[in-house]
Amino acid sequence: MELNVSDIQHFSLGDGDGIRTTIFLKGCNLHCPWCHNPETLSPLPQWMRFESTNLEELCGSMVTVEELIEDVIRDEDFYIESGGGVTLSGGEAMLQADGIRLLAKALHDRGISVIIDTAGCVPYSEFEKVNPYIDCYYYDWKSCNEKDYANVIGGNYSLIWNNLRQLIEDGKKVRVRVPLIPGFNTSGPYSERMCTCLKQAGVTSVDLLPFHRLGAGKYHALGLTYAYQQTPPLSIHIAEHISCIYRKYFDTTIEK
Amino acid sequence: MRTAELLKNEFDEKPHGIYAPHYFKYLGYRKNLAAPEVQARANAICSLFTVPEAHIYRNDWIAGSIRPLWCETDEAERTYAQRIVQSFGDRTFIHNADHFSPDYRNVVSNGIPGLLEQIKQSQSMHQGDEKKVAYLEEMKKTLLALQNMILQYAQKAAELQSQEGYDIQKLDFIRQNCMHIATKVPDSFAQALQLVWMCHTSFLYEGRYAMALGRMDQYLYPFYRQDIERGVLTSDFATELLENVYMKIYESRAYKNVDDVVNICIGGMNRKGACEVNELSYCILQAVKNCNVPGPNLSARISPNTPDRFLDECLKVIGTGLGYPALMNDSINIEALKRYGYDEDDVYDYSMVGCIENFITGKQPPWSDGRFDTPRFLEYLFNEGRGILHQSVGINTGSVSEIGSMQDLMHRFEDQLRYGVAEYFAYFNNENTRLNPVEYVQPFLSCFCADCIGRGMDICNGGSKYPSVHGAALMGIGTVCDSLAAIEKVVFVDKAATLEEIRDALLHNFEGYETLHKQLLTAPKYGNDDPFVDKYAVWFVNFLSSLFSQYKTHDGGGIYIAMAANTSNIYAGKEIAATPDGRLQGEPLSDAASPTYGRDVRGATATVNSVTTPDYTKVACGTVVNQKFSPAMFEDGKRQKLLALIKVYMKKGGQEIQINATSRDVLLDAMEHPEKYPHLVVRVSGFSALYVTLDRDVQLDILHRTQQS
Repeated sequence: MELNVSDIQHFSLGDGDGIRTTIFLKGCNLHCPWCHNPETLSPLPQWMRFESTNLEELCGSMVTVEELIEDVIRDEDFYIESGGGVTLSGGEAMLQADGIRLLAKALHDRGISVIIDTAGCVPYSEFEKVNPYIDCYYYDWKSCNEKDYANVIGGNYSLIWNNLRQLIEDGKKVRVRVPLIPGFNTSGPYSERMCTCLKQAGVTSVDLLPFHRLGAGKYHALGLTYAYQQTPPLSIHIAEHISCIYRKYFDTTIEK
Repeated sequence: MRTAELLKNEFDEKPHGIYAPHYFKYLGYRKNLAAPEVQARANAICSLFTVPEAHIYRNDWIAGSIRPLWCETDEAERTYAQRIVQSFGDRTFIHNADHFSPDYRNVVSNGIPGLLEQIKQSQSMHQGDEKKVAYLEEMKKTLLALQNMILQYAQKAAELQSQEGYDIQKLDFIRQNCMHIATKVPDSFAQALQLVWMCHTSFLYEGRYAMALGRMDQYLYPFYRQDIERGVLTSDFATELLENVYMKIYESRAYKNVDDVVNICIGGMNRKGACEVNELSYCILQAVKNCNVPGPNLSARISPNTPDRFLDECLKVIGTGLGYPALMNDSINIEALKRYGYDEDDVYDYSMVGCIENFITGKQPPWSDGRFDTPRFLEYLFNEGRGILHQSVGINTGSVSEIGSMQDLMHRFEDQLRYGVAEYFAYFNNENTRLNPVEYVQPFLSCFCADCIGRGMDICNGGSKYPSVHGAALMGIGTVCDSLAAIEKVVFVDKAATLEEIRDALLHNFEGYETLHKQLLTAPKYGNDDPFVDKYAVWFVNFLSSLFSQYKTHDGGGIYIAMAANTSNIYAGKEIAATPDGRLQGEPLSDAASPTYGRDVRGATATVNSVTTPDYTKVACGTVVNQKFSPAMFEDGKRQKLLALIKVYMKKGGQEIQINATSRDVLLDAMEHPEKYPHLVVRVSGFSALYVTLDRDVQLDILHRTQQS
């Protein structure tokens, strides 16, 4: 069994507890215009050309589950010492649930924690394939209405909401992660609606991720245009202001 | 404002005249130019310690300064003085003159009267052995000169009381402490520290460099504990006194524009494995942090039982951008030193001199070391025994066209290194023994080295408990390992090129060989947790340590190896032609024991996995692994992950790690010179990017984040 991988990042510090290895899986079924990992949208291999350094690399390759295991367990001592593990991110990791099931089971059996970072737009049966081996879901939550999903993000809002509710109901540990996108989901009333939806799904804790445009260089390297090129990063001040709303409902942190 | 800062401001006022310690020595030699060797040198030291006029800063609690060494005598006499002093000659670094960690435990627990008593006893023990009795007499003379110098500082403190701008309380403190330690055993923390600083100052008067302060948290602790229990000292005041001392290390930079490298060692375990970190260790850490100057070179000995709290405090200090303390792995260093047959107790009491060099505290002659530039031997291998750029000659191991396998290539490379190590040893040994140790005696320094007094002998002539050792600093492990891996991959695995083609490419600095250059560059590189290349690092350490261990210093001590070279890798690189790892001619060699800069691209865990593959218990001198992290790594939360990383590094057998916070300056420089920072990574949640691939405004976003943290 193989997985479509865009990158493996050792010593990841922002994707869960402890020192982790993050496997970025290639291919996504949404198309958020602010995405900071544009190279993971298409499932096909893509050339990236960086002008400033004259570097050129092919992004995306099929890697066997065995190879991935061999790669990530090289850092096992670090996971144990720090309480870390492996995070599967993307792209949409859950599009490759069959491969993930094998990988996550093997890691789980060795006592290595596995986190999946997902936007949740897959049938719940996909989650059921992997649930027993996953310690925590990082559940991206971008919007609270059907319209935005249809017009901006792509994907099915009610499926995403139901999956979130179901995961919580099934006793899975879930951390909701909300990217704060200027002009999209940062107004007071919008934030209130976000909170209501999340509360109804049974969510208790939320991480807020202020918008940044660090992915801009990757759009250029791929020959794509970045819709958020001119959008300045969301200031910590505004993020804190928004977090006041979330704090009324959830245990809330701002990820820097 | 803290005392340290106020003191630093005082350094703005530069001393008048010329820095001329030799002038004061000359005054001593002049007393009796025909005196026997030992006596002449003792005379020089007596003059040096007692003629310059003591200087006390307005903000001093602890006196002792190098300012008195500036004098305004006329040029003609200064030049003449220089000639006389040069004629008597002096030891230098390569002849075991500095880089020494004195036996301060003996000094503070017995005081000057104790040392004088030890001398007296030794003289009566050696009655009849005129040479020894005479030598001890000169040792005594120099100690009395030190005593005199201390009394002069006391007197100065008394004189200054009537001067405006001085604090009577501070001057009284100095006067009383100096009066006490001149003739009695120290009885307080401040007195013990004052005594140590007076000794250190006297070494600076002598012109010695990189003299260590050793395990300050151990030998000063009984005084600290006692004062705290008596209720006469607070940890805050102890820290302030330490700051006073450490800030004065910076005098060298302020007045002479040279950084001294004064190693201070904290932490460590005893032979039962118990961690010896105490409250004073934390005070020292804090004091070095508050000073925030180069010079006090803090080393923290980390052992398996070191509490996380201590390591975390170390990281907080490192995160200020200071880069100190360097973190030393006790388990590895102790195993490495045990190979040389030192007594167990002495091994566990080791400290460092200079940057990182392991030293048996106060029990061996001053250190010496040199640089061994390993990539040079690749030139000889490819160019039939001749340097390509380097004006030197190795041995002719034949044309590379004759080489049929990687094994064959390694054998020839080993032959080159074997010759190279013999050459290195010859250079070192000839130079080290050129100055006859019998004549270039150091009676004063010998008072600070265990057994010299008892034996009545000079530190470099049989007086010290252990013989002298030498450190050969191997440069270019990354360059060599990457080169060997690239050759193996491109020539013997992929069969994409021949060794002759590589040779031609090296001779032409890859001009016209762009495809081959790319192939060599994409071969596995050290620092990425790839066994294909890491195996060469294991070989590198095993092979070279066994070569160097065949040699001994003139008095039978070991030739240690080190993997540390400060910035010599940059200068050495300028003379080295292109190397098979794809490095261009003139570019720096890999730094110390670190992978080649910018080539370890798979994250810090992969770097740790790679650099812990060699057996560092064979590297008795020490290593330096440099790692850079963004300032955000030192914030609460992330810092705990860094701590875990370091603990694993130590468990896996890493020997030393020196961490720097990537400064704003680096990010700014990378905006202007992206070619210098191809692999500078920026990490945020769920994302990482190469800094130089980002647009300017996005780079500014990151700069902004850095400023915030």
